[in-house]
Amino acid sequence: MAKIHMDHISRVEGHGALTVELDGNTVRDVKLNYFEGMRGFESLVLGRPYQEIPPIISRICAICSAGHSITAHMSVEKAMGIKVTPQTELLRELAFLGMMVESHSLHVFCLVLPDFFGYAGVADMAAKYEEEIALGLRVKKAGNLVQEAIGGRAIHNVNLTVGGLGKLPTLPQLKELRQELQKSLVEMEAVVDLVAGLTIPEYEGEPILFKAVRPTTDCYGFFGDTVLFSDGQEFPADQYTASFQETESEYSNAKPSTRDGEAFMVGALARINLFGDRLTGKAQEALAKLAIPVPSTNPLYNSVAQVVEIIYALERSIAICDHFLEEGIKPEGPVEYKVQAGTGIVATEVPRGTLYHAFSFDNNGRVTAADVITPTALNQASVEKEIALLAKSQIDIGEEQLKFRFEQLVRAYDPCISCSVHLIRLA
Amino acid sequence: MSAKPRIGIYGLTSCAGDQLTLLNCEDELLAILDAVDLRSFVMAHSANPEGELDVAFVEGAVTQQSDLDLLTDVRSRAGLVIAIGTCAVWGGLPYLAGKGTAISQHIQVDFSIPGCPIEKSQLLNALSALLHGDLPLELPYPVCLECTIRENNCLLQRGEICCGSLTAGGCGARCPSHGVACMGCRGSALDPNYQSAQQILAKYGYTPEDILQRLALFSGEGFSKEGERVG
Repeated sequence: MAKIHMDHISRVEGHGALTVELDGNTVRDVKLNYFEGMRGFESLVLGRPYQEIPPIISRICAICSAGHSITAHMSVEKAMGIKVTPQTELLRELAFLGMMVESHSLHVFCLVLPDFFGYAGVADMAAKYEEEIALGLRVKKAGNLVQEAIGGRAIHNVNLTVGGLGKLPTLPQLKELRQELQKSLVEMEAVVDLVAGLTIPEYEGEPILFKAVRPTTDCYGFFGDTVLFSDGQEFPADQYTASFQETESEYSNAKPSTRDGEAFMVGALARINLFGDRLTGKAQEALAKLAIPVPSTNPLYNSVAQVVEIIYALERSIAICDHFLEEGIKPEGPVEYKVQAGTGIVATEVPRGTLYHAFSFDNNGRVTAADVITPTALNQASVEKEIALLAKSQIDIGEEQLKFRFEQLVRAYDPCISCSVHLIRLA
Repeated sequence: MSAKPRIGIYGLTSCAGDQLTLLNCEDELLAILDAVDLRSFVMAHSANPEGELDVAFVEGAVTQQSDLDLLTDVRSRAGLVIAIGTCAVWGGLPYLAGKGTAISQHIQVDFSIPGCPIEKSQLLNALSALLHGDLPLELPYPVCLECTIRENNCLLQRGEICCGSLTAGGCGARCPSHGVACMGCRGSALDPNYQSAQQILAKYGYTPEDILQRLALFSGEGFSKEGERVG
């Protein structure tokens, strides 16, 4: 056994290959190659008007399109000094939470669970576990209903605009939405029981360096101005170039990042490790029941952390609906603003981890510089490091089993390879 | 076709939004999976036997050799190849980035479902027709017609660069129904009246280049420099 190669990792979004070189019991090299075609987004937005940036950038990824769209809107607004209303902020957060439910559900129920039940995918698993899969799809649907109600479309929303929203949701719409969210919240209790009963495969890991955006308030959340590492280092979001280093990869179309050579992990598990003690209500109960070891040494718990976050996102969405059902929806259009030159750098926590958008505009609102850094690219070095640790500790289980475990580990990070290869390679 | 049609679902360079649209058919997904013999769906399934296919759905643009290799292989094994999504149908944003081409530039395509992403309803109608051994119906009208049926105020008349009159229908005029101008994400309509749209927008000070730049966002090679439909 010298080289283990997997040419297309399945049940992940996009195209990735893995090569692990072994020499006896020593792991020589791990190469994770994201070979999805280069997307060229950062260059294609150059010169385009600011209003087009969120819908274009949204197309980096379908699963977390709302995250890209909302982060891009925030970046445009920051660059031009536009302050949106609290109502717009809440409605955007609601759309964002809908994405969180949809994305995490897709990953947990359709992509990860089949591994634990010995199936190749939902199609096979549904034959024996139809109710479990159907339940997962119902929760996923609730996330999409939110995205449709607020964004006007589940994938690549059409209703979010610079300064506000095109059309506001109605109270009857929000009431109906609340009912669906509540149903899913109840259904998630069975999911917690199911997942609590699973055995998460272990290997000899090391403490993981985590990173996530520090939520603005004392609550759990996905928006903030600074980014915190689990060893205490903290950086303003707009000083991201000082907080980690992107490197060109010789074998992958994504740019992996490290902090001074050290790999770090972003995503649900990072958020739970850093801010899980802020959770309340049913999410707090789920976290206790699911017993995620904190500080974590095993990335496979990321999918378990996603279950907790589905519950958080459902509860928070219900709270936002309740707010509007009590206070009403103000009939306000997008805020007035003046197009001006500037740079807006924003970091948010999308389903797979920290997302950075940095856009600069000239006086006419046309893009002069663009930088997008996605969580899947940030995680690449961490995946490679953990694959090496796994290989080292489980080298005796045979090639077939190792391949299965490798794939399961890559999948736990929920890589979105379309996202990670959004950039253009510089010659 | 055999009792259960052998289906393959493939993604070239794309955001995976069209494959995700299938996975977003939460109410119908299990019934669909039951009605077909799924031979390949790498995004959602690990064991993919491949082999001969009755129908292949292909998302994404061709941007690299591996895309072309996969596409050629799929074409050689499939009875019907259906392009799903604007990237596959027109080249989409990858075309604008100067890197992508529509799959019809490389292989024969039997049917196209445009959209960024495709509409669930159009996908389900297509699946339903295919399961009955028929080709899906092509929608012959632009977004503008659907917008008129919904009695929306015309954004073009208000001076916004709305691409609804030139864009393939099927989305129920989503954007204009939210008061947002159509960006043309579904690509060119069958018989777009570019001259008319240009005349209206000229009244508001827009040049043909302004319109073409907007159309070029998603339509890739769908419009010529004169605004006429290509392909």
